[in-house]
Amino acid sequence: MVPLVAFQLLSAALFAIGIYGVMARRSAVLIVMSIELMLNAVNINLIAAASHLDGSGRWANFDGQIIAIFIITVAAAEVGLAMAIILRMYRNRSTVNVDEINLMKW
Amino acid sequence: MSTENLTANLYLLTPEFVLAGFALLVFVLDLFMPDERKDLLGWLSVLGLIGIAILSIAMLVGVDESLYNGLLAVDEYALFFKVFFIGIGVFIILSSIDYVRQHLNHPGEFYGLLLFSILGMNLMAMSRELLTAYISLELLSFSLYVMVAYALGSPRSNEASLKYIIVGSVSSAILLYGISMVYSTLGVTRFGDISEELKAATDVSPALWAGLALIVAGLGFKLAAVPFHMWAPDVYEGAPLPVTAYLAIASKAAAFALVIRLLAEAFVPVADRWDQWQIILVVLAALSMLVGNLVALAQRNLKRLMAYSSVGHVGYILAGVAVLSTDSLLGANGVIFYLVGYSVTSMVVFAALIAFFNATGQEEIADLAGLADRQPFLAMAIAIGLFSLSGLPIFVGFTMKFYLFTAVANEGFLWVAGLAILTSLISLYYYLQVIRQMYIQPALAASNEGDDHGSHVDAEDEAGGSGDNEDDHTHTPAHHDPASDYVALPRPSAALIAVVFLGLVATVGLGVYPAPLLELVESASAAVMQGG
Repeated sequence: MVPLVAFQLLSAALFAIGIYGVMARRSAVLIVMSIELMLNAVNINLIAAASHLDGSGRWANFDGQIIAIFIITVAAAEVGLAMAIILRMYRNRSTVNVDEINLMKW
Repeated sequence: MSTENLTANLYLLTPEFVLAGFALLVFVLDLFMPDERKDLLGWLSVLGLIGIAILSIAMLVGVDESLYNGLLAVDEYALFFKVFFIGIGVFIILSSIDYVRQHLNHPGEFYGLLLFSILGMNLMAMSRELLTAYISLELLSFSLYVMVAYALGSPRSNEASLKYIIVGSVSSAILLYGISMVYSTLGVTRFGDISEELKAATDVSPALWAGLALIVAGLGFKLAAVPFHMWAPDVYEGAPLPVTAYLAIASKAAAFALVIRLLAEAFVPVADRWDQWQIILVVLAALSMLVGNLVALAQRNLKRLMAYSSVGHVGYILAGVAVLSTDSLLGANGVIFYLVGYSVTSMVVFAALIAFFNATGQEEIADLAGLADRQPFLAMAIAIGLFSLSGLPIFVGFTMKFYLFTAVANEGFLWVAGLAILTSLISLYYYLQVIRQMYIQPALAASNEGDDHGSHVDAEDEAGGSGDNEDDHTHTPAHHDPASDYVALPRPSAALIAVVFLGLVATVGLGVYPAPLLELVESASAAVMQGG
């Protein structure tokens, strides 16, 4: 059986890539994709924990999978909302480059 | 666990079900309502909210139960915050009806979203499990993302909401990662179970500490505590003014309601570990006080000023949160009382600013010049509100700071209390600058203000295209007409005057005689600190 740590490392790596994407990407759409990556890293962590801890008495629960399903749902709503806002931004400013979205600072 | 456990006391959720149904009703009515009568939806929402508040009080006083196998709490604490949030919602709707009519499209959906966000806040105050807390938080946040973007044609509103949704989503992801770490090490997500596991664990793994730190960071973003505050000023500035008020008052109070319950049920009972956590919270608090109040000194835009000032206030409240303890209710009392006092006072300031904006379309500090001559009531309201925020006596601002700082000092964090008093003094400086504008600076001749009326969003639209922040708001008229030295502003609507007036009464009343409120606050904090 693949140990839990392997899943946790995978999850941490995905999460880190997601954070890197949020900080390094210039297109708002790609930033949203990076956020999706972070949320899916969380899902991997949760499901791995739920299935690995299952069966050893105390840990027998499905909470992790349930949380993951909720996160998938919320993430879908989040993307819908973010895309609507980005679309509106494109109509108003003709750009989705976050470097140019700088009307307000400090 | 049988299904009976899940449905036995489901009726206790009636106020929430009614609120959700009512919000949907507003959305549906919006479809059939002719455009010129959509104000009615605002009034309907106000009536509905008042009804739901009465229903909650009638049903839930003295109840202390747990729903869905301990996912949601129905206790005095939840009830207190429920009524508090509904009250904020009522006042925000009352003060935004004019604004919505003049500046925003789709008013019905605005009120509907506001109702859903209130539902989210109520659930935040009730939730005692991490996933439930997260879902309620997202219900609030999603409504707010849309409300911030509500001025459809305005690039600023748009930019604010894009920044808000990106930062908000990242912070939710961080919070969730923390939750997943806690779950994978402890195997539980209920606050009470977490504290049991923490007590039982002899050696706490680094993964768990990382998870808890990530949860604190995620919630820190939602609270806009330094160093997670960078989104707040931009979002506050870009959002439509009533939404700014709502963000500053309600979303903050809701996040604190959640944080207090999380800490009180999961961490405070684990006394020796809580001592280590206090330090982290105290440092966050001190940073927020310093940065918020110092950066506010340099602001010229009223919304931005209020944003940084609210970061400072978050610092004070966090200091109170850090001294929560099972032995004494002082900390919890101080925090909850501060939240109420801060909300009441901010409501006065924001309602007056909304009235000012409705009449002039301006939001820079310099634009307030001569307001004391042009509209003395608004000037007085803003002045009293700002004095109260800075903590001068006879207003609620003094009482709330007194209680909170005393609690902080009692727990041995004298330096934090000292820093809080020092930064309150600093805040007096920038609040006084606003007051100086209103009372001492002469009024500018306002030759072009009439045209701004109702078309501010469009004007911003054109100016925003140039991408230059500095020149958008040069309202100083080029041709000064000495004959019209100042123009009296039109009277604000009755609803706005009522909000400002009630807020003023509460500001002074709670400052002079806080005992009745303190009793309620004490029963609420007793429920959360000792009930779990």
